[in-house]
Amino acid sequence: MITLADMLTLSGILFALAVAGIFLNRKNVILLLMCVELLLLAANFNFIAFSRMLGDLTGQVFVFFVLTVAAAESAIGLAILVVLFRERRSINVEDLNTLKG
Amino acid sequence: MLNNYLPILIFLAIATAVALVLLTLGSTIGRFFAREPADRDKLSAYECGFEAFEDSRMKFDVRYYLVAILFIVFDLEIVFLFPWAVALGDIGVAGLIAMVVFLGILTVGFIYEWKKGALEWD
Amino acid sequence: MLVEILFYIFATLLVAGALGVITARNPVYSVLFLVFCFVNSAAIWLLVEAEFLAIVLVLVYVGAVMVLFLFVVMMLDINLAEIRQGFTRFAWLGWITALAVIAEITGVIWRNGLGGVDVGRGFVSEPANYSNTLELGRVLYTHYAYPFELAAVLLVVAIVAAIALTLRRRPGLKVQDISRQVAVRAEDRLRVVKVSAEKRS
Repeated sequence: MITLADMLTLSGILFALAVAGIFLNRKNVILLLMCVELLLLAANFNFIAFSRMLGDLTGQVFVFFVLTVAAAESAIGLAILVVLFRERRSINVEDLNTLKG
Repeated sequence: MLNNYLPILIFLAIATAVALVLLTLGSTIGRFFAREPADRDKLSAYECGFEAFEDSRMKFDVRYYLVAILFIVFDLEIVFLFPWAVALGDIGVAGLIAMVVFLGILTVGFIYEWKKGALEWD
Repeated sequence: MLVEILFYIFATLLVAGALGVITARNPVYSVLFLVFCFVNSAAIWLLVEAEFLAIVLVLVYVGAVMVLFLFVVMMLDINLAEIRQGFTRFAWLGWITALAVIAEITGVIWRNGLGGVDVGRGFVSEPANYSNTLELGRVLYTHYAYPFELAAVLLVVAIVAAIALTLRRRPGLKVQDISRQVAVRAEDRLRVVKVSAEKRS
């Protein structure tokens, strides 16, 4: 039987790996967006685990909305990325220093 | 309930097995039965008698991206339609009105992209 | 028992895929590893009987969002060597953070038991004729109707933002107008002129 602890541990490991990925690939905006997707996936694991183990459907409805928001987020994020690349010819985070005082 | 999904598991197992068998067969046969060791010319990229001129990764046009993004949005709309279609008998008129409003809002977006010419390909 | 074994297999593959995402040298490989992660997650969600969400994950994420990521990676010809520079400079910090987060989370779950929740409990398996999609549909359009309409507004915002940001008309582009081409008649283009014959001199 898959227990709550199994699911939560798996989600924790996934979350930690995504955080490590943000440190490792901190220059590449595309990889940062992909790590954010992994973070959201880990959060969804928690929602589904609690929803199933406690027998409450609300968690699954919430995951549905998280998926919607994440898809819209990645669509807009990649649109910004395309515009950015057109202006700067680079997707390096360190080149985004126009607002730096 | 999970018994309903047993065919998917069998399919996955067979697909993995076939892929692994073909890959190992290919690499072992290639390694042990090759006539002669591969030389540099044999392994080099070859394009109409010349060395390849440029990188094989070519840039896509941005319009493909726009089509993909619009596909995501309407894909999500379809996903919202699935449980609605299944549960329509239970939720009645309230569910129907909710979905009409949902589709109405999305139609506004659709008219916007039509008028902006995002669907034109020229 | 089979379910448990499958859970551990898919979980191992999922963690391996996530490691691949964050360490792959080529962004294209990262995207493909992420697809692998999503497929394994869908399998695990299916194992805990959240079947509709598993299908949505494959349909929306693997089918659309990751294709979009792949498009963008292919569309921008990125100088990989420049991006990878300084890859290892903060790597140790990343790994230490990851280990700390894992230690904290597992500690909270396994030693403190989440402060009172029974973490050893499993889920109650549903009967064979239970429909997860139906149950979701029952609450989604009635009890959660307001967030549902908000999702529509959000999707419209995504459409407008994507078009406003990326759509560019190239100036001076010459296109053919097919309806005008078809509508052309001979009289518009050709004028038959009667010329009186000149006298032979």
